[in-house]
Amino acid sequence: MKNAAANPDLSKFLVIGALLFIIGVAGVLTRRNIIVIFMSIELILNAANLNFIAFSRYLSTTGSANALAGQIFTVFVIVVAAAEAAIGLGIVIALYRNKETIWVDEIDLLKW
Amino acid sequence: MFKYIWLVPLLPLIGAAINGLFGRKLRFSERLIGGIAVGSVALAFLISVAAVYSYGFGGHPEWPKPYLTSQDGFSFNWIPGGAVSVNPRAEAAESPRFALLNIEWSYQLDPLSSIFMLIVTGVGLCIFVFATGYMHGETGFYRFFAYMGLFMFAMLVLVMGSNFLMMFVGWEGVGLCSYLLIGYYFDRQEAANASRKAFITNRVGDFGFALAIFGIIATFGSAQYVDVFNQAKSFPIELLGHWGILSWIALGLFIGACGKSAQLPLHVWLPDAMAGPTPVSALIHAATMVTAGLYMVTRTNVIFQHSQTMLLVVALVGAATAIFAATIGITQNDIKKVLAYSTVSQLGFMFMACGVGAFVIGIFHVMTHAFFKALMFLGAGSVIHGMHHEQDMRRMGGLKKYMPYTYWTFMAGWLAICGIIPFSGFWSKDEILWNAASTTHIPLGWIVWLVGTIAATCTAFYMTRLMAMTFWGRERFLEAPAGGEADEAHASAYDKGLAPHDAVAPSAGDRPRHEPGEHVGPVHEDATHHVASDGHGDHHGAHTPHESPASMWVPLAVLAVLATLGGLVGIGPAFRSLTGTEHPGGRVNIVNWLNPIIWNPATREFNAPEGAHEAAVPAETAHGETAAPPVAEGGAEGAAEAGHGSATAVYGDTGFNLAHAVENTTHSELATEWIFILISLVVAGIGMLLGALFYVWRPALAGIWSQRLRPLYIASYNKYWVDEFYGMAVTRRTMDLARAVFRFDSGLVDGIVNGLAWLSRQFSRIVGAVDKYFVDGLVNTVAAFIMRLMSPLFRAAQTGFTQNYALVMVLGLMIAVAVFFGRDILAVFQR
Amino acid sequence: MTLSGYEALFFWIFGLAAIFAGLLTVMARNAVHSALFLISSLVSVAALFILSRAEFIAGVQILVYVGGVMVLFLFVIMLVNVGAEERGSEEIFNNQRQVAASLIFCLLLVGGMLYAINTGFNGMKARNSTPPAVVEAQEASRDQAHGASATGSSRITKDTESVGGSLYRYASLPFEIASVLLLVAIIGSVMLARTLKQEASVDDVDPGIAD
Repeated sequence: MKNAAANPDLSKFLVIGALLFIIGVAGVLTRRNIIVIFMSIELILNAANLNFIAFSRYLSTTGSANALAGQIFTVFVIVVAAAEAAIGLGIVIALYRNKETIWVDEIDLLKW
Repeated sequence: MFKYIWLVPLLPLIGAAINGLFGRKLRFSERLIGGIAVGSVALAFLISVAAVYSYGFGGHPEWPKPYLTSQDGFSFNWIPGGAVSVNPRAEAAESPRFALLNIEWSYQLDPLSSIFMLIVTGVGLCIFVFATGYMHGETGFYRFFAYMGLFMFAMLVLVMGSNFLMMFVGWEGVGLCSYLLIGYYFDRQEAANASRKAFITNRVGDFGFALAIFGIIATFGSAQYVDVFNQAKSFPIELLGHWGILSWIALGLFIGACGKSAQLPLHVWLPDAMAGPTPVSALIHAATMVTAGLYMVTRTNVIFQHSQTMLLVVALVGAATAIFAATIGITQNDIKKVLAYSTVSQLGFMFMACGVGAFVIGIFHVMTHAFFKALMFLGAGSVIHGMHHEQDMRRMGGLKKYMPYTYWTFMAGWLAICGIIPFSGFWSKDEILWNAASTTHIPLGWIVWLVGTIAATCTAFYMTRLMAMTFWGRERFLEAPAGGEADEAHASAYDKGLAPHDAVAPSAGDRPRHEPGEHVGPVHEDATHHVASDGHGDHHGAHTPHESPASMWVPLAVLAVLATLGGLVGIGPAFRSLTGTEHPGGRVNIVNWLNPIIWNPATREFNAPEGAHEAAVPAETAHGETAAPPVAEGGAEGAAEAGHGSATAVYGDTGFNLAHAVENTTHSELATEWIFILISLVVAGIGMLLGALFYVWRPALAGIWSQRLRPLYIASYNKYWVDEFYGMAVTRRTMDLARAVFRFDSGLVDGIVNGLAWLSRQFSRIVGAVDKYFVDGLVNTVAAFIMRLMSPLFRAAQTGFTQNYALVMVLGLMIAVAVFFGRDILAVFQR
Repeated sequence: MTLSGYEALFFWIFGLAAIFAGLLTVMARNAVHSALFLISSLVSVAALFILSRAEFIAGVQILVYVGGVMVLFLFVIMLVNVGAEERGSEEIFNNQRQVAASLIFCLLLVGGMLYAINTGFNGMKARNSTPPAVVEAQEASRDQAHGASATGSSRITKDTESVGGSLYRYASLPFEIASVLLLVAIIGSVMLARTLKQEASVDDVDPGIAD
């Protein structure tokens, strides 16, 4: 264990990724400000990226031929995250124009 | 050429179809319609003439063998049948078409059908031409000719068919067309009544006919003439008092003939049928349809000659009808009714001929009757037309100078029907009476002769009366208006406030609508009486009778020539000193022509051509001998001499024979024949003289004698109340039965049904109540309970708050994790 | 891939920084603060990427993610958020029930994930255990294959080159699709953010009519 702490390997990366993920999920579920919710979503995506890269590193050390797949995947995740952020913020702007609010609990048109 | 006889029925049918289907829609002109109709019949006539000529006289004459179109393939298998349980005798027959009852649609050309073909198409052609003139101006012109064409088709199928079923099809078809044509003025009450009466009375006869056909098929196993008659000729003869299967068949056939040919007691429809247009009366009720019964009886003469009882029945019914109708005709005032009763009477004569065994003479009389009766009907039509649709003879008179063509042609018909030599009626009527007197087929021949002679006297009397009242004497129409809207029917309808076409009066025959002022004769004094209710009152002025156009009198002339000369094809054996042979003219002589289809009971074969003949005086064998019927071999020339004399031996002792009695006195058959000829001429002359006396020289006598013989006059004028009797006994009782059955049905049966319906309704009410209160209550309670229970819960889940939904997603993720790793996770804690 | 020495130290520093910054992102009152904390979290993660020998991805992360997406976030915050929480009176967390439920779920998730990682990694290690000496030798040989860097303390990596090669050779289709995706995103965002007046002037529709 001491060795593990001094020499962190794959599992530590994954733990960090998992923690970031959980924090992001908690942010999505608990915050009222819609922008902050979006930022939490970015956290989640980031955690996933970390996971990919960690595995990519691990696989390259254990000699798998597919080591770069993780990095390739990460590129695409970043692309998608960027696109999604752009669209999502556009929606936020439109929503703000219509409802003049950024608090999500005031947007409850689906309430019975 | 006779291969193409199948075209003969087809052409009028095509013409009728074109006229009927397109006549109104495409608005054919009268000329076109008339042209199509007349053209189709003319073409059919020409083909018939060519066919008969090539059949009988051409290069390779088929006569006397019957020619069937199926021999050349112009036929089709109409009713392909299965096996029929046949008479075992039938299986032994030679005909190959036998194991299955196959009904084919093929036409037969043989001596009998050829004569009828020519009569139907020839006289029909004259009548069609006449009708184009008579029906001018009618809106239903196309309909008339469509029905007439259809009638021609049906009649030709009847006479040209090769089996009994085709005859029945034609039978029914002419009945239908008779209905359609009598009811041509369908908006007139009495025309509608008359057409219904005709059809229903015919139907009674058809019932008997149909039973007879069933009997024929059951007995002989086939319906084709050639098959049936080839078998029938070897059946045993059923003498008087013995009633066998052939007598039953003959009875059924005769009932059919009574219906179609208006014999007692089914004669009642023919006088009423005069409500149809006059060409219809001429064609259907004088020349063709009513003779269908004769055709049928002659066609099946084998069967009739096998049943002496039926021959007697036929002769007696014919005689009774002849005298019955003749006595009624004496007192009728409507010109068409007189001719109608005359037709009934003459048909009686024809059946008399058949009954005494002289079938050929019966057909001969059909032919001559067609000529002179059609002539007289058309002449009457011409008179009616010229008198502006006046039919009552009491308002005619002196027309001979107004309508000369009509007058002279009518005179030819009058002389023919009275039986004056050398007009056609003489030859046939005289032969009938001679055969009645000398018959050895049935007993009581002398009674038949006597009744026939009296009827001939009456015939001469009333026909002369008709001539006198119509053409000679005072012009009675100048004294009071006649025709058009001035006649009785219109007046009576007007009095009752009805429209003229609701006219129901005995003299209201075929009349199209008339404008006020249309009549013959002087203008009425009380002009307001007969003016139509619209109050116009402008009179067009009275007309005088006028001669008919050429399209009407030319056919009259043609028929007059035929009525004058047509009898020469049947010059009888009495004239053999002049002509050299018994039946002069070889094949043209009708007796020689028709003989091969007549079965000879002595030889038990059909007559050989130019061989045995029917009308011979009994030969050397003495009468009164009862000898067993000889079982003769096939027809050989040796049977020629046997002829009538063997008939005696065949039918047993037939009692007193008038001709034999006379011959025994004079010891010369020639003298005997001439005596009878003279008797018939004398009685005809007596009738004519009496008619002239009563209606030309001393008109007052008519009134005096009708007073003196008042009961007889009333009986005759009211047609012996036969119609009233039928109405009381048959029609009203049937209606009563119908009403009773209806009451039963509506009361009991409908009551049951309605009661069940009422029960169902009550039941459904109960069920409905149960459903509404119990079931629905249950459902509502349960649903309401659930709703009140669950609704807030479900509603609470719909917060509209997105993060709640995200929370649920996370919850789902956790459940997935738990599902996949739950066991392992728990294992960790258990360690 | 065991890290050791300086690498381990930097790993712990940047790892904890990332987690801490993430936590603060979620808990900050001011949205701008949240954004800045997120930026720092992203940068830390980029450092972790470098530790994982994925230099190219780290660069992309910083350029695109931080330099593009976060700047966009800041712009939007400025557009919609100014003055919302500065007074400090607005509640930033949802109602209690929601927060409680979220925390419970997150804790459970944490437990589950940690367990999974642990078990999985141990299992994986058990299966593909190459002796550490061999691994060291392989790493060393791989390092030797690269050229020396400017400072001499590490090797110039060929990460960019290999990623580029893979991307354009084996993943070219997804690459193109991703570019189309970006195009669609551009169009979409332009459309979404139009004002009513802009929409009406394009469609020639009366701006008074609500679409």
